[in-house]
Amino acid sequence: MECVVQGIIETQHVEALQVLLQGLCGGRQEKLKIHEICLKSGTNLGVEASEVHLLCSLSQTDPVWTVRHVGGPMRGAGAEQLPAHVRSVLESSISSNALRFFYALGYKMDYELVRIGYVFQFQRVVPITVTATMLCKVPKLHAIDEAIPVTPGIQLVELTAPASTENYSEAVGAISSFAEHLAPLIHLSKPGVPTGVVPTASTAAASLVSRGAMKVS
Amino acid sequence: MNGVRSGRWQVTASQHRPIRRDQAVQVECARELLGVAFSEAPNKYYFVLRPDHMVVEADSTIQSIMENLQVYRNHLTVVFEGFQYQLGDFHVKAGRAVIAHSENLRGIVLEVEYLPVSSLGKTHQLMQEFVDIWQEVAAQSMTGRIVHLEPNFGDYSLSDQYSWQHTALQYISLMVHFLSQRTN
Repeated sequence: MECVVQGIIETQHVEALQVLLQGLCGGRQEKLKIHEICLKSGTNLGVEASEVHLLCSLSQTDPVWTVRHVGGPMRGAGAEQLPAHVRSVLESSISSNALRFFYALGYKMDYELVRIGYVFQFQRVVPITVTATMLCKVPKLHAIDEAIPVTPGIQLVELTAPASTENYSEAVGAISSFAEHLAPLIHLSKPGVPTGVVPTASTAAASLVSRGAMKVS
Repeated sequence: MNGVRSGRWQVTASQHRPIRRDQAVQVECARELLGVAFSEAPNKYYFVLRPDHMVVEADSTIQSIMENLQVYRNHLTVVFEGFQYQLGDFHVKAGRAVIAHSENLRGIVLEVEYLPVSSLGKTHQLMQEFVDIWQEVAAQSMTGRIVHLEPNFGDYSLSDQYSWQHTALQYISLMVHFLSQRTN
């Protein structure tokens, strides 16, 4: 399981977000470049239609493949009150013939995209991962070097934390609390809940970047 | 042969078949998905698709993912289990193959591993000589014959360096062999 909140930020403010995250948690920042392929089950295959994602991390020297299955969000009155989505997530590393494997099993590609940006990881009660990525569409089949931004100038920010049925309240509390620290730059909420950009983000970003520059000099 | 017993081992090989929502409608997919798990590598799981000549290696969580996807259903499982022995530079596993939950014995298995070298090409003759020694011993003291089964690793794009993927393919081949014996 995992808890997740997300929001959007203008690309010009991502540097300020990095400064803020470094200041808040001093965590490691790593570059992120992921080729993501969404696969859907073929006609009549399986108990019901299903979807699985193949992720190929291109940040390392050798590509690393992962298969990821995301379940629906937790339901019920209690879940709706939570400020974050809690959903089942299963991931497995897999050999590089993963795409050919799932095609052979009867899956078909629904779409593919490339995510380019940064990832921060740190510990605040629970392990928290922050990603700021630009989503890029792939104009021709698997032509990832030709990927172009879907929304130039806007990046997606996600906060996620692993959770279990025993501790999901704690995990939700941790990422919600951390999300408040990012409020000057970005509104974070459940996926699917529109947030928009923060009107005063430019002012906050300018202040953060100048403070960051002063620390360096 | 002065072998030293060094513990138990178990390999579980499963055969899965696709699930069709409407039985009257065909599905474009592999008709058989074979999977293997090793007690010595509990964090890994392997799939083999024979018509596609494919071996896939994944974390053991792939089994949970496949269960959630509900696209293939377990049809049959063969459990290989027994004891392992150290004989100098050779590591030998001896055991039985049974259909899971039935204790229906399908055969006896011998796995031989030469520890110092991982190259298939460099060890082929040496391994064959080791098997020949076992054939002589078996001929004198047992009924039945040892049948040396080795899949064509090259057909599956597996390298000369031996790996768990090679072992997975070998146990799938064993399972297929035992199941074919069953239908004869």
